[in-house]
Amino acid sequence: MSDILALAPRFGSNSGQSLTRRDGVAKVTGTATFAADNHPDGLLYAVYVPATIARGTVTHLDVAAAKAHPGVVEVITPENRPPLAGDPDSKPFMFAFRFEALQNNTVRYANQPIALVLAETFEAATEGARLLNPLYDAQQPRMGLDGDAPFTPESGGLGLPGTTVHGDIDAGHAASAQDIDVTYETPEQYHNAMETHAVVAQWNGDHVTLDIPSQAIVMQRGAFGYYFGIPPENVTIRSPYLGGGFGSKAIINGPQILAILAARMTGRPVKLMLSRDQMFGPSGHRGATRQRLRIGIDTDHRMTVLDHNSLATTSTFDTFVESAANASQGLYAAGALRSAHQGVRIDAGTPGPVRAPGEAPGSAALECAMDEMAYKAGIDPLEFRLKNYAETEPGTGKPYSSKALRDCYAQGAARFGWAGRPLAPRQMTDENGMLVGWGMGTALFAAPMFAAQARAVLRPDGTGLVETAASDMGQGAWTALAQIAADSLGLPMDRIEFRSGTSDLPDAGIAGGSAHTATAGGALHAAGTDAIRRLAELATGDPDSPLYGAGNAGVIARDGRLHARDDDTRSESFADIITRAGGAEVEGKGSASRTAEASAAHAMYSHGAVFAEVKVDPDLFQIRVTRLVGAFAAGRIINPKLTESQLMGGMIWGISFALHEEARFDQRTGRIMNADLAGYHIPVNADVSGLEVITVHEDDPHVNPLGIKGVGEIGITGTVGAIGNAIWHATGTRVRHFPIRIPDLLTGA
Amino acid sequence: MDITFLLNGESVEIRDVDATTTLLDWLREDRGLTGTKEGCNEGDCGACTVMVTDQTGARALNACILFLPQLHGKALRTVEGLTAPDGTLHPVQQAMIDHHGSQCGFCTPGFVMSMATAHANGDTGHDDALAGNLCRCTGYAPIIRAAKAAQNAPIPDWLAGESSRVTPYTAPQTDSGNAHAPETADALAQLYADNPDATLVAGATDVGLWVTKGLRALPQTIFLNRCRDLQQITETDTGVRIGAGVTMDRVLPLMRRLHPSYAEMIRRYGSAQVRAAATIGGNIANGSPIGDNPPALIALNATLHLRHRNTRRDLPIGDFFVAYGKQERAPGEFVEAVTIPRQPDRLRVYKLSKRFDQDISAVCGAFSITVEDGKVSDARIAFGGLAGTPKRASRVESALTGKPWTHDTIAAARHAWEDDFQPLSDMRASAEYRLTTARNMLTRYLLEDLGDPVSVLGVTP
Repeated sequence: MSDILALAPRFGSNSGQSLTRRDGVAKVTGTATFAADNHPDGLLYAVYVPATIARGTVTHLDVAAAKAHPGVVEVITPENRPPLAGDPDSKPFMFAFRFEALQNNTVRYANQPIALVLAETFEAATEGARLLNPLYDAQQPRMGLDGDAPFTPESGGLGLPGTTVHGDIDAGHAASAQDIDVTYETPEQYHNAMETHAVVAQWNGDHVTLDIPSQAIVMQRGAFGYYFGIPPENVTIRSPYLGGGFGSKAIINGPQILAILAARMTGRPVKLMLSRDQMFGPSGHRGATRQRLRIGIDTDHRMTVLDHNSLATTSTFDTFVESAANASQGLYAAGALRSAHQGVRIDAGTPGPVRAPGEAPGSAALECAMDEMAYKAGIDPLEFRLKNYAETEPGTGKPYSSKALRDCYAQGAARFGWAGRPLAPRQMTDENGMLVGWGMGTALFAAPMFAAQARAVLRPDGTGLVETAASDMGQGAWTALAQIAADSLGLPMDRIEFRSGTSDLPDAGIAGGSAHTATAGGALHAAGTDAIRRLAELATGDPDSPLYGAGNAGVIARDGRLHARDDDTRSESFADIITRAGGAEVEGKGSASRTAEASAAHAMYSHGAVFAEVKVDPDLFQIRVTRLVGAFAAGRIINPKLTESQLMGGMIWGISFALHEEARFDQRTGRIMNADLAGYHIPVNADVSGLEVITVHEDDPHVNPLGIKGVGEIGITGTVGAIGNAIWHATGTRVRHFPIRIPDLLTGA
Repeated sequence: MDITFLLNGESVEIRDVDATTTLLDWLREDRGLTGTKEGCNEGDCGACTVMVTDQTGARALNACILFLPQLHGKALRTVEGLTAPDGTLHPVQQAMIDHHGSQCGFCTPGFVMSMATAHANGDTGHDDALAGNLCRCTGYAPIIRAAKAAQNAPIPDWLAGESSRVTPYTAPQTDSGNAHAPETADALAQLYADNPDATLVAGATDVGLWVTKGLRALPQTIFLNRCRDLQQITETDTGVRIGAGVTMDRVLPLMRRLHPSYAEMIRRYGSAQVRAAATIGGNIANGSPIGDNPPALIALNATLHLRHRNTRRDLPIGDFFVAYGKQERAPGEFVEAVTIPRQPDRLRVYKLSKRFDQDISAVCGAFSITVEDGKVSDARIAFGGLAGTPKRASRVESALTGKPWTHDTIAAARHAWEDDFQPLSDMRASAEYRLTTARNMLTRYLLEDLGDPVSVLGVTP
């Protein structure tokens, strides 16, 4: 049976089979080898010394004391750091960020590396690092959204525009019968994948092998090669398992470069694994935002203007401005639409992409503002959104490649029981006297594609081999991609070998942008199709084959055999075709990307609707999210089991954004006060109850040949706003920042 | 110090063990058992969870803050030892695969070990058993489904009888010059009086962090886990005496029976892994202003039993906390036990924290108010998080005592709160929030006591 197109619809979606993940046994038995689990002979341990100031210079390091400690082999500081071929302060390629690799003694933010200690044991390296006892010339750090004068960036980050305007904003404001002008703030957040960054580096001449979790396996080969002055093919990256990525493992950081450099310097393998507190510094984060939203509506509750302005923190030495205001593009049919961005430079590390970059904080503010507007207008928040439902992409007028958002609203609302919700806040209590509130939000995430290649081989024994350097960071790429590959080859899953996760394979593109399945899957599908085409040529051109003369278009591949399309009894097994043709493997190659014409023709997004119920203690203000229902339309669902978990995990990130995650900076020192999992909260299981995911059927003939959109990030969007709105609905207190903390509700007391 | 224990069924002997080497580092770096993961190295995430069994049963513990000497005489299972020798998976492992409980897989070994421990103990309270394991991918639901699916499977043969394979407290641990593991409270009293600068290590849920996070050297350590006489719970007609070495996972069921509100607070304040290691004596003796046991114990009028060599003295527990970082404890003196007097259960504990489960309290209030003939005859109210120590609300208590048990009395006591407490604003909460919720807790107590539904009146939008 076909693995992705089986007639096993779940929740009405055009989904494939819920196959169990292929790496499950390795993961439950502890045999899955993550980067830091590698332990080559002769290994040295590297520990980096983090700056404890945020701005200034390092004036002294007690290198002698560190070197004198038993087991310490080398101490690397700006004084003796060997040269790099590529400047860490250059930005030579896309996704290159400036980083600290001991190029000088300047401190640009707290926790940046200021030295690296190498030792025979981890304990000795740790003690050596402690003994360096740095002295500083410290300056007052610039902190927070008011830490410096705002500037207008040319790019919002990763090439997105700084400002987008559609229509006449002033006219839109002037035409409004009612309006709101509200400002929301979101905090700095850190990825905090469960696996911290780690690398084991081994040089052999001018070739280096890196065991390193990577969300961009082939692309990073060139990047590492650039910094070390070697061609990309001299870099081997092995990244079979990533313990979560969330954007941070697509970007090269300073500690990694230093560890690789240390391996070359000492001629020994070097392992570096960041401690949890070191995850709050050199490996990116989400900048804080302050978003002003002005919405105007006419007397019929149609939006005359949606004016979204966002200020976000970035570093003093590089620019990544969270593209939060772009969340207002593409969703509601406002007469005039503006997304504008500004940045502010502070003494923190450079932000970078964090799961749903821009969309997560932008959607949080937008969906709350929509709720505020609906309440002011006196209509139900869902009705307000339907009133402003965009049939074509607002501003551009482009048709959507597909958009089953109405179904998401309807199915989500029905499942949640939204009907009958009182408009006014503070109307509902439960049997224990807890305040109950319901809120909703729309989820939206673009459906991009990157570029990928793949290879598919049919072997004489009738089995298949497929290859692409995909990253499985938990989302289940290896399983979903193998399903696509098996399907394209007409083979059952147990008869294909799927190779992935190393840099010697065809480039699968970046595991990001919720585009990995669409991109790498597209390449695999093309490669499989190509292999079958070549196989069909062998069969249909061979007078001894029962398929002789059928023509390429006249055969289909199914369960390891080619069948004549018009006569199912005429068929031959792959093995027989290949063997009779001389036994040479049949190879197919494929690639996938989206053409400029395709991008211009349609607006492409995944959509969803999230409904939340919260309960709030009226006296003690403790908040519980008691129910979350999310209905999402994301094109073809390859594997419902994986997809449901991705969406659910995203919604939990939404709970986390709404109620928990926040890095708290000490304004005097610039250090993060809660750089650990005791203080930087993410939800624990006991915090989560009643979570439901619905995948809504959606056929998309335009987005890509397989009709796949993405599900990795959309779950956060919509959810944050839904929870914020539910808290308001429960308490009557509108909190305009995230996370919403219990003392924020005190004003209602 | 030499130690012996079972590692995945095989006997392991380590000579001259470094007393502050953590089990996690030893497993990963010395033994090459890398299935056990490091996620935080301070007991917050559960990625390093292992199963440790002794005669009293199996426990899930965080390997990152477990020192090797604490393993002596016990049986340790890591994820590598959960599978049968022929590769057959443990039922929880199979269920995790079937239900898609593993995504990125980094937290999975820890989850699997927590699940296997709960499974071994017949514990089906999955939400609580797994509350100490963080996952950033799945959304948890598939993991809970997996735990439920496996709960009725029999304990696999290769794990059955693990506790009977543990050699019961055979040889005492040999001391080294700077690490000791006395077998009795008497020996401890002698040793500690002679070495008053030594660090006492009970569960190491706090001391472990001094080492892994604070990078502190501990020149002298005394491990308490082998003093079985400190681990007794003795119930009499007049009270229940809890030895200082009793772990919180044993206090929890005791309190479920005696003072359920206290038990509910214990359920929330630590993970299963932390409760299985942390001792009540350690939580009291480290004197944290935000420790969650002291307010409840103060409200219950508990007595602390202190011992220095062979001199014992009793202290009302509230008097133990002198000032921030300072306790009423002489050098070489240690907490031997705490006694809670028998009493009708009037206790209510309210713990407020940013994250509902497993978070340090912003405010923790404990109330025990006795009412006779409609009047307050006795009031004991204590708080954590409102001062530099766990502290009684004496002025509020006085303002209530002898008065009718009514809203008016509570309202009249309103200003006594400021006399008792001048809390600080910090990362966890503002001073205003702390004081407001402290007052509201008393209102909540009254409402619950009178059997009224919790009122939402008096709180305006």
